[in-house]
Amino acid sequence: MASRICRLIRPVTTTFARKNGLNTLSGLQQNQNFLKRQSSTTGTTKQPTVATRNPLIRKSLTDFGAYVAECLPKYVQKVHVLFHDELEIMIHPDGIVPVLFFLKEHTNAQFMNIVDIAGVDKPTLENRFEIVYMLQSLQFNSRIRIKTYTDELTPIESACSVFPGANWYEREIWDMFGVFFANHPDLRRILTDYGFEGHPFRKDFPLSGYVEVRYDDEVKRVVVEPLELTQEFRKFEANTPWETFPAHRLSEGNEKPTAKPEEKK
Amino acid sequence: MATNRLVQQGVKQVKPLLSVDRTEARRRVLNLYKAWYRQIPYALKAFNIPVSVKRAQDKLRELFLKNKHVTDIRAIDMLVIKGQMDLVETANIWKQRTHIMMFFKDTVNPKPTDFLSKFYEGQD
Repeated sequence: MASRICRLIRPVTTTFARKNGLNTLSGLQQNQNFLKRQSSTTGTTKQPTVATRNPLIRKSLTDFGAYVAECLPKYVQKVHVLFHDELEIMIHPDGIVPVLFFLKEHTNAQFMNIVDIAGVDKPTLENRFEIVYMLQSLQFNSRIRIKTYTDELTPIESACSVFPGANWYEREIWDMFGVFFANHPDLRRILTDYGFEGHPFRKDFPLSGYVEVRYDDEVKRVVVEPLELTQEFRKFEANTPWETFPAHRLSEGNEKPTAKPEEKK
Repeated sequence: MATNRLVQQGVKQVKPLLSVDRTEARRRVLNLYKAWYRQIPYALKAFNIPVSVKRAQDKLRELFLKNKHVTDIRAIDMLVIKGQMDLVETANIWKQRTHIMMFFKDTVNPKPTDFLSKFYEGQD
């Protein structure tokens, strides 16, 4: 029932958004041209080289994010614009293909290029892997970031049916994080050596790895052996060993400076 | 109604990786084992491995039995997927001799376990 109502409402809302003109990216080009004209008249400035915030671009990105959230309410969970005018859309993992297809094919989006797919490992979360799709729209000179999540064993739908260029990016994520992409045309390792075990970009993968590789002259080939560190990783304390201000000493055990007990004496 | 809802909450729905139930997962594992078993003579010949077929088969069995404690269907599927990729790399001769010999670990000396041999090794 609810879906039927949605179907009835959605065309109305989308047409309303189109009539307004603000909710799409097409306003972005005019804004950028306007700003370019503004900046060319200022001449040499002594301001620090910090990226300036652009309220017009920000406004159109915010509106476009709201428009996407309105068009795909089933999949979009959150939309926000970062400080430097970057649009981020958080989606449910089920909606990767529909959302990417929408952004690629919609007249007012036209994100035809896939720039990169990245993975982020956050071991404390229940869905520890974050998959980030970065798209670019040449038509509107705009970029967008789509984020979704998964865990070690939940497969994610491959984006290759929408963007054939996602093939190697997804292989890289599979190799580095061990996220399985369902319906990928050719999922296999891309960066690690054959026979390599583990996924190096996971946070629980040790920096030194598990094995070491060397050439053995007796057997005349490269051999792979379990790694043996001659020395444990040591913990270095950056503090000076001489007590310059013992009352204000900050070490790991005591968070606060030990000034108070000395005063009592 | 309330019990139904409780049961639904208890059974968490997860997206299957390949197999839906245990019998399917078991069949996949057995199929992979058979495929490897049949590939062994060809691989030994192709890579010129100084190992008898019998020893390679024992090693295959050992490597499969190493994961016999895994009961989660999706974990089994993930292991099957990785084993399948490994088999493809072997069958297409993308691997080299080194990578095949990695299974046998013939240069690795086992670590001493009892007190005296640890003492001889200079380990404390």
